[in-house]
Amino acid sequence: MTRVAVTLNVMRNAFRAGLADYRAIFTWKSWLAGWYLRVIAQVAFFALIGERLEDDEKTMYLLVGNSIMIAAVVGVFSLNMTTSERGAGTLPLLVASPSSPVVVFSARGAYLAVDGALSALAALAVAGPMFGVSLPWPDVLAVVPLTGLVAVASYCFGTFLAGLVFRFRSVNNLVVVTTHVSLMAACGVNVPLSFYPEPLEWLSRLLPLTNGLLGIRGVFGGADPTTILGDAALEAAVAVAWMTVALATFNRLAARGRRDGSLEFAS
Amino acid sequence: MRGFLAGFGLELRIVRAAPDALMPLLTAPLFALVFLAIVRQSGRADLEADALLAPVLMTLWWVALQHAGHLITGDRWQALLEPVIATPTSLATILLGRIAALMGLGLLSFGEVLIVGKLVFGVGVPFEHPVEMALTLLATAFATAGTAIAFAAVFVMTRNAYTFTNSLSFPLYLLGGVFVPVAFLPGWIQPVSSGVFMSWSADLLRATVKRDGIGDFWSRLAMIVALGAASFLLGRLILFHVLARMRAKGELATV
Repeated sequence: MTRVAVTLNVMRNAFRAGLADYRAIFTWKSWLAGWYLRVIAQVAFFALIGERLEDDEKTMYLLVGNSIMIAAVVGVFSLNMTTSERGAGTLPLLVASPSSPVVVFSARGAYLAVDGALSALAALAVAGPMFGVSLPWPDVLAVVPLTGLVAVASYCFGTFLAGLVFRFRSVNNLVVVTTHVSLMAACGVNVPLSFYPEPLEWLSRLLPLTNGLLGIRGVFGGADPTTILGDAALEAAVAVAWMTVALATFNRLAARGRRDGSLEFAS
Repeated sequence: MRGFLAGFGLELRIVRAAPDALMPLLTAPLFALVFLAIVRQSGRADLEADALLAPVLMTLWWVALQHAGHLITGDRWQALLEPVIATPTSLATILLGRIAALMGLGLLSFGEVLIVGKLVFGVGVPFEHPVEMALTLLATAFATAGTAIAFAAVFVMTRNAYTFTNSLSFPLYLLGGVFVPVAFLPGWIQPVSSGVFMSWSADLLRATVKRDGIGDFWSRLAMIVALGAASFLLGRLILFHVLARMRAKGELATV
């Protein structure tokens, strides 16, 4: 077996393990009654702020932004991969195995990108009509791959953060939730980027939600296709950049944990 | 009283050892920035105070759901429930002390949003009716504590409570009208919201920052306390039966 074939085999098995995890967490009923209810409530919460402002345009802005935000929320959950592994007592075994930890973790949590994109699109599809936001057909189809890009980029970003907090399990949830609200605050989800000071505007362009969301707003606003493609390309570049940083740092950080014995067997 | 104080001190020590519990104190200022940005960008200065108050209520909800609600489940996982129940002090007294500590931490978010509002946007909360505001916040903390007991009692019966608590935050923010008054919700859901103490708290708290007089202040305050007390009694009732069943089946320390 070549090295590539071995890596692909590891990724396939890790992905299947991730899917099994997900099936253990949710049945389709608990997904709908639990998770999806929260998704719709989150989007409606912000869309209602637009209604309170008595501004239909703002309602649409908030609804679209917060629907796509769901893809980022789920993508960033990849941070929890290492924590759950550690809680289960399997983390040191994974780190000790000859496979690269980052390959295992990135493949094992890849279902999050799929779930994030589907949740976001399902939110848009249901909450949109609820608030009288029209989804222009067939243009709206372009939103599907763009949302997928946002989910993948957020997932890559989460994988990078997972490497950072690898040895500090106690702050994991803190980092997850703070990252969620920070992305909500900085990525043009609720107000246009022009509202921020210029340095923050540039910084937000490096985050995994901003460019894809701009592209999606472009689709709804009837923007020029080249502008939308430009935003999509930037989102893809951000995803690649975060995954590259994750690949470069994750294994080194894990190795440090192996050296200093901070990868305990159980929580 | 000693049991209450012991619970209070214990929870503060737990929080110090587990920084996750401080999560809402990090997110409250961020949510304040998000809400302030929305109302400022829309030119609605009249809603700035509401934008600052909403994260305080969200923080209390979060603490009730994610921390206070899991106190018994957490003790059970760590095999602490058995020795706690074996002591002469009642479990409810210790729980109340622990939840009071958490509510105290949650109320710190009020100071945080004031600071962040002033530093970033130069706005604050107008203290038009300071006494009424303080009473409303205290009544809200009391009612949240009562609701947390009910959450704790229900969550200990479920196998996968964490999955559901993660999903309950925004539905409860919505039903509680923490930022958008219940009147903006669809008509069919408004009666449900009226049964949620937070919707009364949010309305009353918003009224305390308006220059106009507050109509029916005492009856509205009493409603918050009554709904909180009802949740507390319901929680105690469920807890009594759940603990009796666990004792009978020897499941106090079972995961």
